[in-house]
Amino acid sequence: MEIITTIFTNAFYVLVFPGLLFVAIVGLLLAGIDRKVLARMQKRVGPPLIQPFYDFFKLMGKETIIPHAANRRVFLAAPVVGFVSLVVMMLFIPIFGFSPLSTNADLIILLYLLTIPAVALIVGGSASGSPYAGIGISREMVTMMAYELPLVIVLLTVARKVGGSTLCFSLSEISLFQQAEGSLITNWSLIPAAIAMLLVIPAEVGTQPFDVAEAETEICEGPLVEYSGAPLAIFKLNTAIKMFIMTALFTVLFFGGIDTGFIALNALVLVAICAVLTVICMTLIHAICARLKIEHLFKFYWTVVTVLAAISLILVWLGL
Amino acid sequence: MFKKVIAKSMAKSPWIYHVNTGSCNGCDIELVAVLTPRYDAERFGFKLAGTPRHADIVVVSGPITSQSKERLIRTLEQVPEPKCVVSIGSCPRSCNVFKGSYSVEGPLENFTHVDVSIAGCTPKPEAIIEGLYKAAEILAEKREAMNK
Repeated sequence: MEIITTIFTNAFYVLVFPGLLFVAIVGLLLAGIDRKVLARMQKRVGPPLIQPFYDFFKLMGKETIIPHAANRRVFLAAPVVGFVSLVVMMLFIPIFGFSPLSTNADLIILLYLLTIPAVALIVGGSASGSPYAGIGISREMVTMMAYELPLVIVLLTVARKVGGSTLCFSLSEISLFQQAEGSLITNWSLIPAAIAMLLVIPAEVGTQPFDVAEAETEICEGPLVEYSGAPLAIFKLNTAIKMFIMTALFTVLFFGGIDTGFIALNALVLVAICAVLTVICMTLIHAICARLKIEHLFKFYWTVVTVLAAISLILVWLGL
Repeated sequence: MFKKVIAKSMAKSPWIYHVNTGSCNGCDIELVAVLTPRYDAERFGFKLAGTPRHADIVVVSGPITSQSKERLIRTLEQVPEPKCVVSIGSCPRSCNVFKGSYSVEGPLENFTHVDVSIAGCTPKPEAIIEGLYKAAEILAEKREAMNK
């Protein structure tokens, strides 16, 4: 009997909350907020808030074409692999204390899982056998290298701040620490790291100024150029979920320690904070910036953003 | 239930792919005007797709020239079903002033089924939006027909 209950609760965690259904709905909602607010910033009416849901269901109903040059299995498996890794990632991110999977090395697992959707995009693009996808995946790889370094430094900074010399990689302990000592964003020595993290989010998600890999007007959405129908729908869903995962990770690292006592209310607060973060770090930059060149993107991340993160790391290591 | 949701979504999120088959660029500019903040076709879910694989509606402008005929047919083959073909302006309807030229192959309907034809030289952005909206509704009907 106990086994059945365990299986049932775990299935609930993976499929409904905080797994598949929850991330999909919130991710698509955040994408909708992004598009609506962007439209309002450009003095347009903009699409309805649930436009990404329409897009998703429409793509689900379209024919799936597999090109002759493509490797059929890899071509179809790539989006699903990316999607599964994103759902697993959400199980590690605590919603203000509630986290179904919690280990001593959450941050390291997350770091590895975060690369999988990008690698899935690279693998899927290269399996499609299109020259546009070839350009797209080489750019995606450079983008990955660019944002990975500052991201690692930010995570290391937080780990050192919370765990002292032993380094704490557990997200639930980071949450508990913030409950006791106040949110980490209030700590002045961590503010450069927070700004660096905010700049990493749009590159990780792939929104406008940093969407060199999927440049629509230039290389026709790069790795996605040959995709149609359901696989394309899952790739679009992946992008939307990444928005939620990255902003939720930021919330856990820097705004942790908010606890209203109810899981549902906590989840609502998380979604609200994620929506605000989406508008600040994705929509705002999208509205005011044109797309960067790939070499400028690389230079920007390895100079400005890395230095910001490194300043925090040094300050924290000095004990400030 | 899913089939109903999908059919409804078809009408709400049509992505456009634009093929210029020898147009004078007038209709192309008007189509771009439809997507600008003044007319904002995105409020109906319209989006310009970069590749025919992502498209639902193929917009053709211009009389079909000998050079573009083959490319047009190949492009139309790459669009996943259900799809709609919309012609913009007088050129794809009747070849307009280019009729009789040695390099013009004739109106669009000789090569493919045209779902919506928007007349005018060039049509107003309002007319284009109305035409595209009708095409989106046809798209939903085609999806429902696929279920049966």
